[in-house]
Amino acid sequence: MSVLAPIICDNGTGYSKIGFAGNSDPSFVYPTAIATRGSANTASRAPAVPAKPGHLASKRGVEDLDFFIGDEALANAKTPGYGVHYPIRHGMIENWDHMERFWEQTIFKYLRAEPEDHYFLLTEPPLNPPENREQTAEIFFESFNIKGLYIAVQAVLALAASWSSNRVTDRTLTGTVIDSGDGVTHVIPCAEGYVIGSAIKHIPIAGRDISQFVLNLMRERGEMATVPPEDQLKVAGKVKENYSYVCQDIVREFRKYDEEPLKYFERYDGEHSVTGRKYSVDVGYERFLAPEIFFNPEVYSSDFLTPLPEIVDDVIQQSPIDVRRGLYKNIVLSGGSTMFQHFGNRLKRDIKQIVDRRLDAGALARGSQLKSSGVEVDVISHKRQRYAVWFGGSLMASLPDFYNFCHTKAQYEEVGPSICRRYQIFGSST
Amino acid sequence: MILLEPHNVIIQQTILEKLQKPTSLDVFFVDYDNVRFHLSTPEKKTILLLSMSIPCWHELEKYGAVEILQREYGTLVLSQPEPEYHVSLQIDLEQVPKDSESQEAFVLSLALLKRNAVAAPFERAFSAQKDLEASGGQGELTQVSYRDQEQIFIQAAQDRVTVIFSTVFQEETDRIFGKVFLQEFVDARRQPSIQNAPQVLYSSRDPPLEIRHVPGLRNSEDIGYVTFVLFPRHFANKTVASAAISHIQLFRDYLHYHIKCSKAYMHSRMRHRVSEFQKVLNRAKTEVATTDRKTVSGRTMVNR
Amino acid sequence: MSNSLRPYLAAVRSTLTAALTLENFASQVVERHNKPEIESSTSKEVLLNPLTISRNENERVLIEPSVNSIRLSIKIKQADEIERILCNKFTRFMMQRAESFIVLRRKPVTGYDISFLITNTHTETMLKHKIVDFIIQFMEEVDKEISEMKLSLNARARIVAESYLTAVRSISLLRCLQLKSPQFNT
Repeated sequence: MSVLAPIICDNGTGYSKIGFAGNSDPSFVYPTAIATRGSANTASRAPAVPAKPGHLASKRGVEDLDFFIGDEALANAKTPGYGVHYPIRHGMIENWDHMERFWEQTIFKYLRAEPEDHYFLLTEPPLNPPENREQTAEIFFESFNIKGLYIAVQAVLALAASWSSNRVTDRTLTGTVIDSGDGVTHVIPCAEGYVIGSAIKHIPIAGRDISQFVLNLMRERGEMATVPPEDQLKVAGKVKENYSYVCQDIVREFRKYDEEPLKYFERYDGEHSVTGRKYSVDVGYERFLAPEIFFNPEVYSSDFLTPLPEIVDDVIQQSPIDVRRGLYKNIVLSGGSTMFQHFGNRLKRDIKQIVDRRLDAGALARGSQLKSSGVEVDVISHKRQRYAVWFGGSLMASLPDFYNFCHTKAQYEEVGPSICRRYQIFGSST
Repeated sequence: MILLEPHNVIIQQTILEKLQKPTSLDVFFVDYDNVRFHLSTPEKKTILLLSMSIPCWHELEKYGAVEILQREYGTLVLSQPEPEYHVSLQIDLEQVPKDSESQEAFVLSLALLKRNAVAAPFERAFSAQKDLEASGGQGELTQVSYRDQEQIFIQAAQDRVTVIFSTVFQEETDRIFGKVFLQEFVDARRQPSIQNAPQVLYSSRDPPLEIRHVPGLRNSEDIGYVTFVLFPRHFANKTVASAAISHIQLFRDYLHYHIKCSKAYMHSRMRHRVSEFQKVLNRAKTEVATTDRKTVSGRTMVNR
Repeated sequence: MSNSLRPYLAAVRSTLTAALTLENFASQVVERHNKPEIESSTSKEVLLNPLTISRNENERVLIEPSVNSIRLSIKIKQADEIERILCNKFTRFMMQRAESFIVLRRKPVTGYDISFLITNTHTETMLKHKIVDFIIQFMEEVDKEISEMKLSLNARARIVAESYLTAVRSISLLRCLQLKSPQFNT
C-alpha cells in the first residue's frame, strides 16, 4: 500500500474533476478541452508538421507536446494555429489521442504526481463498452505505469456520495441516481452496486438548456437589451446559478411576484468582459421558472414533454420488482443542475403523488378492503451534490479496502487489458 | 509543455483563491518525489497552515534546509511543525501584501516550498566550492535519498560541483527509452550552441567512480546514473544559482515525464497506423447489399 | 524498396496466393464441428507442408496451409533492443484489436511476432487478392513504421535533452552578460 493518496479523475463531457482521495472537493475542475496545433477538424495524428524555425516545440518530433488543456485551452482557442477539441462526447471518450495527452498534462502539470507512485480511480458512464475500459487501462498501465487502477461507474459513486448526508442511515448501493450535468440528464437505477442498464433513461434537458431558457425569458422581457450579446448567455448562467429556486406552486408564485415585485425581484450587476462597461438587469420570474423545465418541460421544448418525476417513476417501474422499494426509498441527486433550492422536496412530492395515485387506482380496481402499506419515497440531497461523483470516488478511495479492489500493474501484465472488463463492487464481501 | 515548472500549482491556485475569499479549508495533496502537503485552516479562516512532509527530510535538515526555509519565509516557519509533517508554514491572509504584483510573488514563493527545501544541499555545495577554490581538495559527499531507491549525490571540488542522480526504471520499455534519452543528453552537448551547458555523463549499470565507495548502491540493469558537472559559471551569482538548482532538481521528473510522453506519442502513432491497416483490410470486404428492414408500422430496426 | 525486399515480398505473395485455395471442411473427428484444421490439427491428412520464406536470419515468414485454413506468421526485423521493444509494443497493440482485424490471430505462433489465420469463410466473404494485398502491405509498412518510430524517439530525445540543457545554458549566458564588467579581466 502506498502512503500517497489515490488520484480521482472524473472526466465528464463538459468538465473534468480531478483531485486526491480524502479531500472533500476536487483540486481542479476545468473543461475537458484540449487545444492542439492544427485546426479543429484535421485528423487525429497529422503527419509531421513542417518545422517552423526558432520555436523549439515546433521542431520535428515534439509537436505533440505543444498543447494546452482545461481553461488554458479555451484561453488559447483564439490564438492562431490552435484548435480546441473536446475528446469526450456524451460521456464517452471519442478521441483517445487527445484524451491520452489530456491525462498526461493533468498528471504532470496540474497534479504534479509521479503516476508510478499512485493508484488511480477513474469514472465511466453507465453502459460504457468494455473496449473503452480496456483502452483506458492500456493507456494508464502502459503509458503511465500506474500502480493500480479502478474504474467505477459514475452512478454508483454518486450513490456512495449520498452517504455523507445525515439522513442516510444504512450505507446501501441500491438507489436511483438523477445525474444532471451540463449536456444531458440521466436517470439511472442501481441495485447493490450494479447498474440496471435496461431501465436507464436519458432526458435531453440539462444545465445548458436551463441557461438558454433563462436567456429566452429575459430577452422576451427586454432585460437583455443593455447586455452585450456575447455576454448574454454568461449572464443567464449566473442568474440561473445564483438566483434560481424551485417553487411548490407556479400560480401562487406568479401572484406573489406581481403583488410585491420589489420584494422578489432581484438585481444582477455585471461588467462587460472587454470594455468594462457596467450594466445591470432585473431578475424576475425566471428565478422559479428556470428549474421548472424539469417538471413542466413544455414551457421550454416542444419535442420532449415528459416531466422528470414521471421519468423517474417509469425507470423504477421498469426495474425488477424486488428492488423497486429500495429504488423509491433512495433517490439521489448529483450534478450541478440539481443544485436548485427545494429541488429535492418538489421531486419527492411529485413522485409520491404518482405512486400514491397508482396504489389507490390499484386498490379501487381490486375492489377489496385491503390497503397497501404504502411505498416510501425519499429524495436525498446533500452538500456534496455538485461534484457528487468525484466526492463518492474520494470517499471510496480513502477506504483501506480500496487497494484490494484495484487491479494492480502486476495483474495487468499477467492478464492483459481484458482484466479491466470486471471490477469488484465496493463493499461486496467476495 | 516541454519543461516542468518548479512551483506547485495547487498551492498557488488555492492560496490565491483564499486571498480573494477566505473560507475554511482542509486539503491534502502531493508533489513529485513522494512529497505530501496539507493545507488547512485549523483556527481561523484567515490563518492558513501549510505543512509539508518530505521523505528525505532528516538528510535535508542535516544540510541546512531549516536555515534556507527561514531565510525564504522568515517568521512564517513554525518552530513546531504539525504532527506527521516536517515543515509547517503559517500564513496570515490579512498580512499578505495587498497589491496584486507582490501578492503574486508572495504566493509563488510559497508554491516553491518543496523546491526551497531540496535546494539546501545544492546551496551548501556551491558555497563549499567557493571555499575550496583557494585550498583545493574535495568537499564532503552529500547524499539525498529523494525516493525509495534513488539518490542524489552532490560533491564540491576545487573547480566544480558534481551532481549525480541515480534513477530506477520500473519497466523494460522505460529502461530502453530512458537509455535513449540519457544517451542524447550526453550527445547533445556536442552541439556548438549548448557547449557551455553543464557536462553530462551517464552510465547505465555501474555507479560512477565518485560514488563507487558508497555502500548499498545497486548495480542492476534497471538503474541509471547521470552525472552533471557544474562549473562555477553555472552558479556564479544568486539568480543563476537558484535557477540552476530548480532546474537540476527536476531532472528525474523531467526525464520520466518525457519517457511517458513518448510512450503516449507512440500510442497515437500506432493508433493511426492500425486504423490505416484497418482501411486496407476493409477494402478486401465485398459489398453486402443491406436492405432496410422495416416493421409493419414502418419503423426501422436499429441495432443498439 | 531495397533489392532483397522485392523478391522476398514477391515470394510471399505468390506462395500465399497459391495457398489460399480453401474450401469448407467439417471436422472428421468431432461431429458437427467445423474448425480451422490448422489450429485444431486433429486429422493429419488435411494438413499440408508448412513452408518458410526467409529474407535473412531475422526476417522470415511461415506459411502453414491446410484444407480449410492457412496460418501465416511473420517474424519482423529487430536490429537492437529499441526495435525489439517497439516491435513488441506495436504487435501487441494490434493484436489487442484483433476483433476488428478479422484475419489476425490474438497470439503469435512461438518464434514469430505476429500471426494471421485465414479461413475459408474469410476467402468466401472477402476478395482473396485483396487479403493478400493487405498482408503484403502490412509486411512492407511494419518495418517502415518501426524504424520511423525509432527515429522519432531519437529525435524527441535529442530535443528534450537540448531544451533541458539550453535552459541551463541560458542561465550561464545571463551570467556572462552580467559579468561584462571590469572585474572580468582580473
